[in-house]
Amino acid sequence: MELQRVPLHENHCQLNAKMGPFAGFHLPLQYKSALAEVVAVRKRAGLFDVSHMGEIFIKGQDASRFVDYLITNDFVSLPVGRALYSPICNEEGYLLDDLIAYKLSSTLALLCINAANRKKDRDWIERYGDKFQVVIEDASDSLCLLALQGPLSLKFLPSGFQEIEGMGSYEVREVMWENEKIIVATTGYTGERGIEIFSYPRVARHLWGILTGRGVEPSGLVARDILRLEATYPLYGNELTEETTPLDAGLSWTVKIQKKDFLGKEALKKTSPRFRLLKLSLAKGIPRPGHPILNAQGEEIGQVTSGTHSPTLERGIALARVERSKEKKADGNLFVGIRGKAYKAKIHQKPFIHQP
Amino acid sequence: MSHLVPKELKYTKDHEWVNTEGEIAQIGITDFAQSALGDIVFAELPEVGSEVMAGKAFGVVESVKSVSDLYAPLSGQVVETNGEVETDPKKISEAPYKAWMIKVKIKDPAEIQNLLDSSAYESYCEKA
Repeated sequence: MELQRVPLHENHCQLNAKMGPFAGFHLPLQYKSALAEVVAVRKRAGLFDVSHMGEIFIKGQDASRFVDYLITNDFVSLPVGRALYSPICNEEGYLLDDLIAYKLSSTLALLCINAANRKKDRDWIERYGDKFQVVIEDASDSLCLLALQGPLSLKFLPSGFQEIEGMGSYEVREVMWENEKIIVATTGYTGERGIEIFSYPRVARHLWGILTGRGVEPSGLVARDILRLEATYPLYGNELTEETTPLDAGLSWTVKIQKKDFLGKEALKKTSPRFRLLKLSLAKGIPRPGHPILNAQGEEIGQVTSGTHSPTLERGIALARVERSKEKKADGNLFVGIRGKAYKAKIHQKPFIHQP
Repeated sequence: MSHLVPKELKYTKDHEWVNTEGEIAQIGITDFAQSALGDIVFAELPEVGSEVMAGKAFGVVESVKSVSDLYAPLSGQVVETNGEVETDPKKISEAPYKAWMIKVKIKDPAEIQNLLDSSAYESYCEKA
């Protein structure tokens, strides 16, 4: 299959990005150094082109009610101008995707979904849309998404973004910039403060040029994956799959079981989680997806779902799925099996890095 | 993009370099290899005294994104390992030809004939 190019493809090539395939797209994996990009985002600011992400607008008088029915988190009670993170489950309570839902007005919602799940999500949303007064519009092919992330992000913005300064985390505004309506949200996937900007390619190219010209570090998917793992955000395809429920993946806080009705509710009410998602770090060795989690007796009780070297902690970190029935016996003594050797893991209760 | 390929060294198609001095061969990975891997963050080397076999894996390097086996260019016994690259793996990315990994006592000098010289390696990389 031919890989799809993002509108800013040329900009990435000009910066000598190392490009690679991801979710059917040809995307920048890293520019000069993924590690330097991680450090830039933690200390200053980095810029990601994540235009591969899917954008689906839900319009109409039932927009909020419909989104609320689709997702497990509470969208109806969310004030206009706010965003929230949520799983989207099938009727059996298994994860179809995870997304950020933005409430732009009482009759307009935006769902930002994973590129790899776009068709599946759209079919799913259309299937249930009939019962609601809504129009579903997939804008994924026309919209770009830039993520400006890092503690100093706002300092690099050109004029015209003054409104952003008063915004708290997980808020969203429609803003006019250079005579074009764009959507600006204080969301992200790095664990740092920052903004995400949905716009057409003309504005995205212009902003990319301005921001990188002002010293924001162009950052690729490798850095983004390390950053989200340091912040212990799950990734669909790794921690989240159609074989796991939100309760298996540490997302029970996003399942509002007292909500009137939503897809997956009946199943999630009845199920108890099979797995627990653990945050692990290693003094030596780098955990990778698929590595076994072992107890002191060397029995396998789970697997690493995501793992890498954390430049912020300067050690190997992982998210790991362990079977709850086998976990108790391990009594907190866990090891990661790497190439036949068992490395003692430290269990973290909190994310590996501070949250903004 | 061009990479450093010092004239005085020998190479393998797996992107290791070899510097032979008498019966001892010093082994590392090339500039091409470190550049393709990206930031190297972990290296695992064999024990001193263990045997390595030409063409077989003797250790591992990991970048943030990937795990790669290191292949022995020559057979022999490991007489020394460079602990510095294990404690500070970024040295491999910064100076691949200084960051040697192991020294091997060459078992069969005839194996040296199988290695590439710098110009053969350079043209091999161009095709890669």
